[in-house]
Amino acid sequence: MSASVRPKPYLEPQYCKGCLRCIEACPRDCITPGSAINPATGLVPVELHLENCNGCTLCLQACPEPYGLRLETDRAGLEGEFVLEDPAKLFGEKCVPNHSEGDLPDDRRALPDCEPLVLKGTYATAIGALLAGCRHVFGYPITPSTEGAELMARILPKLNGHFVHAVSEVAAVNMMYGAGGAGLPCMTFTSSPGFSLMLEGVSYMIGAEVPGVFVNMMRGGPGLGNIAPEQTDIKLACRGLGHGNTHAIVLTPSTPQEMLDLAIDAFALAFRYRNPVILLGDGYLGQMTGKVRLPASMIRPGLPAWAVWGDRAHRHNLISSIALAEADLEDHNEHLNRKYAAITACEQRVDCYRCRDAEVLVVACNTPARMAKGAVETARENGVKAGLFRPITLWPFPIDALAEIMPGVRRIVVVEAGPGQLEDELRLALSHANIAPPPIDHVRRCGGNLPAQDEILATLLAREEVLS
Amino acid sequence: MNAFYENFQRHSHGEGLKAHSTHYCPGCGHGVVHRDLAAAIDELGIQDQTVLISPVGCAVFAHYYFDVGNSQAAHGRAPAVALGHKLAHPEAVVISYQGDGDLASIGLAETISIAQMGVPITVIFINNAVYGMTGGQLAPTSLMGQKTTTTPEGRGPAMGQPLKMAELIAQLDGPVYVERVALFDARERVKARKAIRKALTNQIEGRGYSFVEIIAECPTHLKMTPQEAEEWVKTKMAPVYPLGVKKDLTVEPWFKPGAPVFEPTPLLELIGAEPSADVDAHAPPAWPAHLPARDIAIKLAGSGGDGAQTAALLLTRAAIAQGYDATDIPSYGPESRGGTSYADVHLAEHEVLNPAAPMPHVLVAFNAPSLSKFAAMVKKGGVILYDSTIITAPPLLPAHLRVYPVPFTRIATELGRPVVKNVVALGALQAALQILPEDSVVDTLRHVLHDKPAVLPLNEAAFAAGRDAVEALLLPA
Repeated sequence: MSASVRPKPYLEPQYCKGCLRCIEACPRDCITPGSAINPATGLVPVELHLENCNGCTLCLQACPEPYGLRLETDRAGLEGEFVLEDPAKLFGEKCVPNHSEGDLPDDRRALPDCEPLVLKGTYATAIGALLAGCRHVFGYPITPSTEGAELMARILPKLNGHFVHAVSEVAAVNMMYGAGGAGLPCMTFTSSPGFSLMLEGVSYMIGAEVPGVFVNMMRGGPGLGNIAPEQTDIKLACRGLGHGNTHAIVLTPSTPQEMLDLAIDAFALAFRYRNPVILLGDGYLGQMTGKVRLPASMIRPGLPAWAVWGDRAHRHNLISSIALAEADLEDHNEHLNRKYAAITACEQRVDCYRCRDAEVLVVACNTPARMAKGAVETARENGVKAGLFRPITLWPFPIDALAEIMPGVRRIVVVEAGPGQLEDELRLALSHANIAPPPIDHVRRCGGNLPAQDEILATLLAREEVLS
Repeated sequence: MNAFYENFQRHSHGEGLKAHSTHYCPGCGHGVVHRDLAAAIDELGIQDQTVLISPVGCAVFAHYYFDVGNSQAAHGRAPAVALGHKLAHPEAVVISYQGDGDLASIGLAETISIAQMGVPITVIFINNAVYGMTGGQLAPTSLMGQKTTTTPEGRGPAMGQPLKMAELIAQLDGPVYVERVALFDARERVKARKAIRKALTNQIEGRGYSFVEIIAECPTHLKMTPQEAEEWVKTKMAPVYPLGVKKDLTVEPWFKPGAPVFEPTPLLELIGAEPSADVDAHAPPAWPAHLPARDIAIKLAGSGGDGAQTAALLLTRAAIAQGYDATDIPSYGPESRGGTSYADVHLAEHEVLNPAAPMPHVLVAFNAPSLSKFAAMVKKGGVILYDSTIITAPPLLPAHLRVYPVPFTRIATELGRPVVKNVVALGALQAALQILPEDSVVDTLRHVLHDKPAVLPLNEAAFAAGRDAVEALLLPA
């Protein structure tokens, strides 16, 4: 193309901030500092004198504004001989598959009946995640949760999936932000100190509405604590998921079977609500081996319409948690609040064991719920009408089911491996529901000790003697 | 230019001039690089494939302008987010666009570890020697003596030296291409444009990780005019941050992951699931009437290496194969590497209510510390089996217990392999309690060892020998 036909620059003065970087760039001195303030911007745009311009475009490369110096050919409505080629014409159509508008739905595939598996809890969760369509796992080793990640590291490469041993929990959660933002099911295995580190990323995921599943096998704290089971991240999971207005569904398994079943549910919930889901277990649940049956089907995940996938159909999507204008951020929070309200209305889950006629209600979750179940059984044999109320969602707390039972309940005993975080959730839920609770006793252990069945039974029976 | 939105709707809802003006200050290097990047995206025809990760810092709003897939990352975490996108969709062209605080300070661990992984992503690093968005604080790349709001007297020796990221990244094995470029004159801007294009091409072709450091102007926080800032970058920054290619490897395209597999058959094989036509056909056998409870707790304890954990798992598997419920909780952590290693097993007719075993019905002890530690916890009327080869001077054990001293180790050694002493113990447990049907543990052994048939006879013999040893003890004298 000869110099005489190369397009020349043009400038809409209101888009020039007058930085003058173009002046030095021009080898022919075609640009001079302006002399007049632009009334729209209050700035002084440069002035172009294009008599000597040969269309070298060096000034364009110096201009920091996308709509600052441009070629005449880019001018809206300008008909000229200079037509920019469509990149597709020059380079061929993209090899990327273009998804149609809207969600590409999950595909459910039937599984044959299988013999029950004998699995460690973390393995059961890993297998649940695989069946739920998760092929992207990001993690950092931490006892007592590591085995799940190790199993994924063995299996995923054989399924063309990816396990990344990240440089830290902080990096791992942000890899989830990426893979989840691309619309795929992803997860991590961690334990309490690692979960603390991930919370910044969890807040970002909630703000940007990125799904992902966090498996936290709680261990003893605070600080480095120890590696034995505790339930002292209930506060974090239910009330403290990083900064800002955050909530996530918190699922509390109590058997290896539930470690698998709830992992599958966790992915469905994460995508239904575009939100992280926390699978909150204790160290024993991660390590305990037991009988696990496989579900009737597995999932090949689809692709949601909102995904930042890297193709034409999803090009206009944005994963972001920033909303600079106060009104925008308030709107966004109100949107989140409506989501939280919907979750609270629709997703409360509980296992009620012998609660229908219960006068003494034991509230427990995770492994301590199993000790509690044993104690309830024995208390019944001793004539005490005990029942076990075992939340399967800690957030939202299953208050609707509790409210139905409460009229007959004379006493509550909260059993937990911690100093009262479960009891706080219970009391808060009762308070919000305007239910005046009966006396609440508790059996609390910590440091890695779990409440023993006999301790629980003693508490169940003790006051009964006092009362009778 | 296609790669910029026609209207910047995300910039204050595209009101007024903001529909076509950036939020950047006059003369800002970010704007120049934005145009370079947009030009490269257009020239390479990758607008639809591109996923741009915006950082925290002045470029936090890159998604206002670029008409590509956009993801906005937490401070310093853009490379991790980029990696997540790249592994989710390897055909996407993923760009991590970061400033000096983001990349070289708070995100240093992510920057280096992900560079070293070498997965093809493109990192564009804007080094303008100062924190912009927070208002002119010291950056890891600020020059010695440079005055910032947090170094009002100038950066001194105790405040660290300027961090040379391009050199640091270039000495890693992961990246294939590292170059430092500048924007201070037309010649350098041409090189910058080429470098960005090359860094993207490396990714498109699956050749590897590329890193382009651009020393750039921040006139506002340098308190200079754009022209003075260009001069400052040229005369002050460039000598500290030498321009040029730091690394450029010729690498064949290698990154082409296959499509993830979602077929049931390979997955079931990988997790060891066995399809079965009659899963629920066989009901479990009746729970033995001689047992004291419908849920029996067994503690197996020894030193790490005694095989207590393996024995516990075999027992659990055998019970579940029978249709009972069973659980096994191992001791975990440091104790499994030398000290006492124990496992709590529950076998239950219907459901294990409480999987811990602080007061077991049965203790199987492989060494003296285990016997001493746990004997007192065994329930009244319970059973203890211990290795009488190892424990030659047992402590006084409660009279209410049934105690079976069995030379697990001697029997196993006579069979030729001391390691099978745990299977000897299972045989002994079988004879002492008869919780599970006679053949169930051996059946489980056969199942578990199906790919090591050579060791099966040894294990079967060990089980039988353990059982025989206890039966001999049970014979009337």
